[in-house]
Amino acid sequence: MTTTPFVKLDGVAKRWNGQLGVEGIKLDIPEGSFTALLGPSGCGKSTTLRLLAGLELPDEGKILIDGKDVTTSAASDRNLSMVFQSYALFPHLSVAENVMFGLKVRRVPKKERLEKLHRALEITGLLGLEDRKPGELSGGQRQRVALARAIVAGQRLCLMDEPLSNLDAKLRNAVRKDIKKLQRDLGITVVYVTHDQTEAMSMADTVVLMKDGHIQQVGSPEDLYSRPNNTFVAEFVGAPPMALLQSSVLDGFGDDKTIGIRAENIQIVPKGEGRMRCTVNESEFLGAETLIGLDHAGAAGLCVLKPGLSMMAEGNEIDISFHDENLHVFDAAGQRLAG
Amino acid sequence: MKSLTKFMDSFGAILLAIIWISPLLFAFWAATHSTSDAVNLNVFSPWTLDNFRVAWAGAPWLKYFINTFMLVTVILIGQFFLTTLAGFAFAQLQFPGKDFVFILVLMQLFILPEVLIVENYAMISRLGLFDTILGVGMPYMASAFGIFLMRQAFKGVPIELHEAARIEGCGLLGILWRVYVPLAKPTYLAYALVSVSTHWNNFLWPLIVTNSPETRPLTVGLSIFGAPENGVDISVISAATLMSVAPLLIAFLIFQRQFVQAFLRAGIK
Repeated sequence: MTTTPFVKLDGVAKRWNGQLGVEGIKLDIPEGSFTALLGPSGCGKSTTLRLLAGLELPDEGKILIDGKDVTTSAASDRNLSMVFQSYALFPHLSVAENVMFGLKVRRVPKKERLEKLHRALEITGLLGLEDRKPGELSGGQRQRVALARAIVAGQRLCLMDEPLSNLDAKLRNAVRKDIKKLQRDLGITVVYVTHDQTEAMSMADTVVLMKDGHIQQVGSPEDLYSRPNNTFVAEFVGAPPMALLQSSVLDGFGDDKTIGIRAENIQIVPKGEGRMRCTVNESEFLGAETLIGLDHAGAAGLCVLKPGLSMMAEGNEIDISFHDENLHVFDAAGQRLAG
Repeated sequence: MKSLTKFMDSFGAILLAIIWISPLLFAFWAATHSTSDAVNLNVFSPWTLDNFRVAWAGAPWLKYFINTFMLVTVILIGQFFLTTLAGFAFAQLQFPGKDFVFILVLMQLFILPEVLIVENYAMISRLGLFDTILGVGMPYMASAFGIFLMRQAFKGVPIELHEAARIEGCGLLGILWRVYVPLAKPTYLAYALVSVSTHWNNFLWPLIVTNSPETRPLTVGLSIFGAPENGVDISVISAATLMSVAPLLIAFLIFQRQFVQAFLRAGIK
C-alpha cells in the first residue's frame, strides 16, 4: 500500500505488573478497511484495541491515527467511536439520549443532533424505539443501539470489542452481515476484536492473528487460511483446523519438520494405495458433509470430510492420500518454510 | 408450633408498634384536649384546637420552620456536593495515600459529633459563622457516612459505562455528572431521607451555636417554648411538638413506600 495508513501502531508495548500485555505490535490499517484482531482469550487483542481507543496508555511505541500522533492523547480527542462487548448503554437514558450522548457532550446544536439521531436510527432500524430505556429492549436491539451510538457522530474510525458475543447464534449471523454492510456503506474504518475465527474470516479484509501479546500473522482471510505463517496460525484458522504431522511419517521431508494438511485436501483411498494408515476415532455429521476424525501416531488433529451422511465405525482402519502441493511445511520452530 | 411462632411474630410486632407510637398518640390526645382532661385521660372530654392556637401565638414558629427548612436544605446541598466529589475520588480515581485517607474518613464514623462540640464551636466562631444557619450546618457537611455510601454506589457502576462516556468525549466531571450521579439516584434519595430526618430533629448542636430567633431551628425553639420557666402546660407543649414534627410525619406517611424502597434499593446495589 503506497498511501499512508489511516491507523498506525509502531512497536507498541503494554505490560501489566509482571504479566504480559502486548509486545512489539506493528500494524498499518488503511482507511475504509475492516480489520479483525483475532486470537484466543488473553492474547492481547482487547488490550491492543484499548490502547488504540486511549483507554490504556502504551509503555512503548507510537500510535498514529490519521497522521496525528495520539500516543498520549485522551480517548475523547482521538475522534473514534467504540462498541463494547456489554454494549455499555446508559441504563438511565432512553435510546435517543443514549445515541445522542456524545453529540450532546460535544455541544452539537440541537437541530443537527436530531437529524443525525434520525439518520442513525434509520440505518440501524431502530425508528420508533426512541423513548425506550435499554432495560426494555431485547439483546439484539441493545446491540443496534450501541451501533447507532457508534455511527451517529460520523467518526471515521470505529472500534468494536466482541460486539456479537452476547447474541445467540442465529442473530449473530444476521448482525454480522449488517455490520459488514454498515461498514461498507459508510466507508468507515473498523477495527474489530473477536475470538471467533468464523466472524473474523467472514467479515474482515485483514485479519490480525495474535497470541501471547504478539502478532502471529497479518493478512487477508485467504492468506491466513492457505498460507499460515506458523503452526499456531495453521491450527487456529479454519474449521476443522489444519492437521499437523511429524515429517518423519512421510518420505522425503526429513525428520525435524512439521507438515500441515487440511481436511478437504485428504482423500480416502482403497487399502494399500494410501500414504498413511489411520484409525477412525469419531464421526461427526455436519449436514452437507460428515467429518471423520482420524488417529495416527505421528499426527494431531487429522480428519477428513466425506460428502453427505457417511458415518464410519470407530476403530475402522483406513488409508488416506494427498498431494504434495497441498502440504504446508513448517520448520522445527513452527515457522513456515517457503512453498 | 408453627402457628404459635407466627402468632408470636405478629403479636410482638403489634406490641412493639404500640409501644413505639404511644408517645405520639398521647401527644395527639393531649394537644386536642384541655390540660386537666388530658392528664385525667377522660375519654368523653370535649375536643379542642385551642392548644394549637395558644402554642402558635407563643413563639415565632413560622421563622423557626423556615430556619429548620433552610438548615436541612443547606446541609443536604453541602453533603451532596462534598460526598459526591469525595465518594467519586475514593471510588474511581487513583492517588497516592488513597487508602490511608479513606481510613481516616471512616474513622470519623467512630467519633460521636457531641465529642467535638467544643472544638466545632471554636471553629465556627473563628470562621465568624456563630449564630448563622451556615454555621449550624457546616460541621455535618463532610459526612463520613455519606462519603462511604457514595463510594459504594459509584463502585457499583460498570466500568464500561465510564469508558464509553470517555470515548464519547466526556471529561472527568462530565462523566461524574452524566453517568455516576444519575445511576446513584436511589442512594441519593435514601441518603437525603436519613439526612433530612436527622437534622430536622438535631437539637444539641443548634442549641449551642444559635443565639437568636433569627437562626433558631424548630427543635431549639420548641425547647425554649417548653422550658419550665415558662410554666408547664402539657397540652400546649404537645400541640407545639405535633406542629414541629408534622411536616416530617406527613412526608413520611405520603412517601412511606418510596422511603422503604429507597433503602432496599440502595442496599441491594
